[in-house]
Amino acid sequence: MKDPRITGRQKYVIDAAVEGMLHGRILRSVYPSARITSIDTSMVPEDVVVLTPQDVAGLHHYGCQIADQTVLPQDQVRFVGDPVLAVAAESVAAAEEALLMIDVEYEELPGVFDAVSATAPDAPLVHDRHKISENDAAYFGIRPVDGTNICHRFRLIQGDIEAGFAGADVIVEETFTTAGAAHVSMEPHAALASWDDGRLKMVTGNQTPFNLRGDLATIFGMKPEDIQVICPPMGGSFGAKTFVRIEGIAAALARKADRPVRIILDRAEEFQTLNRHPSTIRVKIGARSDGALLAKEVHCLADTGAYADCGPGVAQKMGFASPGPYRIPHVRVESNSVYTNLPPNGAYRGYGQMQSIWASERTMDLLAGKLGIDPLELRLKNLLREGDAYCTGEVMHDVAFEECLRDAAAAIGYEPGQPGLGVSVLMKGMQTPSFASIRVRAKPGGRYHIDCATVEMGQGSRKALATMAADLLGCAVGDIDIPAPDTDVSPPDTRTTSSRSTHMMGRALEVAVANLKDSDTGEGFGEIRENGGLDPDTGQGIASSHWHQGAAGARVSVDEETGAVTVEHVHAAVYAGRVVVRKQAELQNEGSMIMGYGTAMFESLDILDGAIGNPNLSDYNVPSIADLPKLTHSLIEREGGDVHGLGETALPPVPAAIGNALQSLGLTLRDLPMTPERVLAAVDEATDRTEDAA
Amino acid sequence: MSTAWHSPTTREEVLRLRAELGEDGTLVAGGTFLGVLMNNGILAPEAMISLAHVEGFERIARDGAELRIGAMVTHRRLEFDADIRALCPMIADTFAVVANPRVRNWATIGGVLADADYASDPPAAMIALDARVVLESASGRREVSVEDLIEDVYQTVIEEDEVLTEVIVPLDQSAARYRKFRTRSHEDRPCVSVAAVQASGGLRVAVGAVAGKPQIFHDICALAKGRAMDSGLAREIGTAYAERIDPITDARGSSAYRKRVIAVEVRRALEDLAA
Repeated sequence: MKDPRITGRQKYVIDAAVEGMLHGRILRSVYPSARITSIDTSMVPEDVVVLTPQDVAGLHHYGCQIADQTVLPQDQVRFVGDPVLAVAAESVAAAEEALLMIDVEYEELPGVFDAVSATAPDAPLVHDRHKISENDAAYFGIRPVDGTNICHRFRLIQGDIEAGFAGADVIVEETFTTAGAAHVSMEPHAALASWDDGRLKMVTGNQTPFNLRGDLATIFGMKPEDIQVICPPMGGSFGAKTFVRIEGIAAALARKADRPVRIILDRAEEFQTLNRHPSTIRVKIGARSDGALLAKEVHCLADTGAYADCGPGVAQKMGFASPGPYRIPHVRVESNSVYTNLPPNGAYRGYGQMQSIWASERTMDLLAGKLGIDPLELRLKNLLREGDAYCTGEVMHDVAFEECLRDAAAAIGYEPGQPGLGVSVLMKGMQTPSFASIRVRAKPGGRYHIDCATVEMGQGSRKALATMAADLLGCAVGDIDIPAPDTDVSPPDTRTTSSRSTHMMGRALEVAVANLKDSDTGEGFGEIRENGGLDPDTGQGIASSHWHQGAAGARVSVDEETGAVTVEHVHAAVYAGRVVVRKQAELQNEGSMIMGYGTAMFESLDILDGAIGNPNLSDYNVPSIADLPKLTHSLIEREGGDVHGLGETALPPVPAAIGNALQSLGLTLRDLPMTPERVLAAVDEATDRTEDAA
Repeated sequence: MSTAWHSPTTREEVLRLRAELGEDGTLVAGGTFLGVLMNNGILAPEAMISLAHVEGFERIARDGAELRIGAMVTHRRLEFDADIRALCPMIADTFAVVANPRVRNWATIGGVLADADYASDPPAAMIALDARVVLESASGRREVSVEDLIEDVYQTVIEEDEVLTEVIVPLDQSAARYRKFRTRSHEDRPCVSVAAVQASGGLRVAVGAVAGKPQIFHDICALAKGRAMDSGLAREIGTAYAERIDPITDARGSSAYRKRVIAVEVRRALEDLAA
């Protein structure tokens, strides 16, 4: 069977069309922070439908974690690109022409453009209020700090941090930063909305069909059952197509037009729609002279942009993964999700954990240097092992950090003291609590029909589920039909994020097939529910019912006159437990490593005059095939191991491994990306150190 | 708004349209640059004159001691053309490192010189090679060195009624080298580029992507007069170029960083020449 994505037969969301459909375009703010003083649409032709803030004034606030957003801003715009109004016309060109005929006047307001300034005492506030969302994505106890731009503050406390540092022989303290990044999926955001007798049908590229349905129900004051969300396969997402993006505008436009409306964003708009959190992370770590870790304090600022989106969740995971897979008796973490006047930041492959792993794993090598202990040895000495308790109090099971780390080190030919080599290790949490359900029906001719809400975005989860189902049912993969998720039909699922689908939905499928075999109705239903969650004020509880575990190794060389880095080899080791579809698992690793490489070396959303300064693929670079170093990886399996999610695991350790390889050359990099200019500055710093010593 | 599209097939027709339409008639060669401008809403031409079907604009020919390259010759052809590789391999080396094959299949030598983007690879190479362009109009024809053609970012001496029809490259170089220093993706434009050419008239070094137009300093190049290129001279010239240039800052590097890279990359280009 030829893959329709290869033959070109795959229908993506941008191909969705219905008769009588209008084309929507969005007028966006050109100011990062301003009050809208007037809107003049009088020049727009009569056959163009215009949706103004006034049209949506009666709709409700929404947001997957904090209800801080309206379909169109009511009085104030909060970032360059914030939608001001939208039009629908017979063609995209007519809609674009209409946008040029609209005159909006603004009164500029002060803005904040990074999380550090946004948390300063006199910083202008991006939002006045923080109303926690009723969406079930707001599951973890959100802690906004009133009167500040902090929309969530997560804390994790174990032991007595002061006592820990007091007992330490060596302490390292350092601040790290990471840049914002764009997902750059090939297919942009697209949605087709239509109304029929008070029911809303939304065909959209979205990883979170049930959360989206919930938020749309909130917006329009409808019952969720009166909204049908259908999610055809997407041409990539990487976290960008989560929760409400353009669906609210499409639905409101369609309702006003009384016609179906399709919106497809252009590339520039993609850069204004959802990006990755820039971060500033301060780490302080203390150890005994023999290398035993005693205390670690981490302070994270995650810039979530103008609307919280899932930024509170990102900050929480950034925080709880930051201690790293080590036994540390005294831990204190504070992780803040901070509003700024930049486009919203949200889910991005790695979900905040690339940022904290960068900071934490770089700190480990600085500590190793100060202790005079080999960085690999220091890690091995402190790694969490089977049955150890993490600083959240949860007991670790199916633990494979050591195997991953040793595999990564061996693959790059790691030798203590040999320059140009570096390693890193990570733990990454999965959505917890989490729920998945699935229905399997026997059809005539030995075929099976599966309904589930797992969305296909190129990650291959449908193929993985079909392969598992064929194995369980004793049929061919081709005998399994899995239509696209449809909230009218598919049983509920938390969402297709967090590398959870094969792990969660796969196990639900096992239950459903067993149920089918036991029943005489020809139908089986299965569900899996993982409980847990953390107390947001102490960080105690179960952070992750299932930890993603991995490591990376890198070999580099540096041109010390220009700072140009040649990454010769990167290896990622990912704990798979049990591989379901090998080829796809390998592609997940490769894709993650390539994104990790871009993050490490050059991907950066530059902020210029309060806006994304490089919102196009000429000025924002993603890795091309010609950039890639030798990339190798391992999928580590174990007899009787669980099926572990692996859609993201190989990304977060890559920048830290490269940074640590540079550290082995005496070059201390604190900021991502590690541009040649920053590397040259590190060369200068090392030269100054040598001269000072001499 | 609709755009009138003209697709002339003869040189005369192009020149006539150009004279008629003046600044309202935007010439389209490969379209890789115009496409970006139009997609970003920076340019919305009233009329476009395509050069795609004009006879004779795609010719590569040797003319005695010179090479004549038609304006519509693509980067990809220059990358692979056997005559180019044999006669002046630096041309092939330069055009081979522009962007990616999708761009090189369409982008043309005439287009890239007429656009005069500060961060393109070919302008510095063509200046170091002492290349000239032919500018034709309904009322005449003139030749201008690439060095004089480009005035600043996106600014050239091409008049409203003129068309860049041909590029003429002298073939008197004994050694030539193009170095592209990137700070991001392989497909990116250079942070600093250096073209160094040893020809009968002496040394020519042009540094690209660091200012509004490629930087060439004849007095500094003259330091090489009568001296064999060695690492000391290479360093001297590299340092002098770095001191003379006041580089721009953009996403590919700060001014201070570029200054340091210029010294290194000019020196390396000259060391390459000597090798």
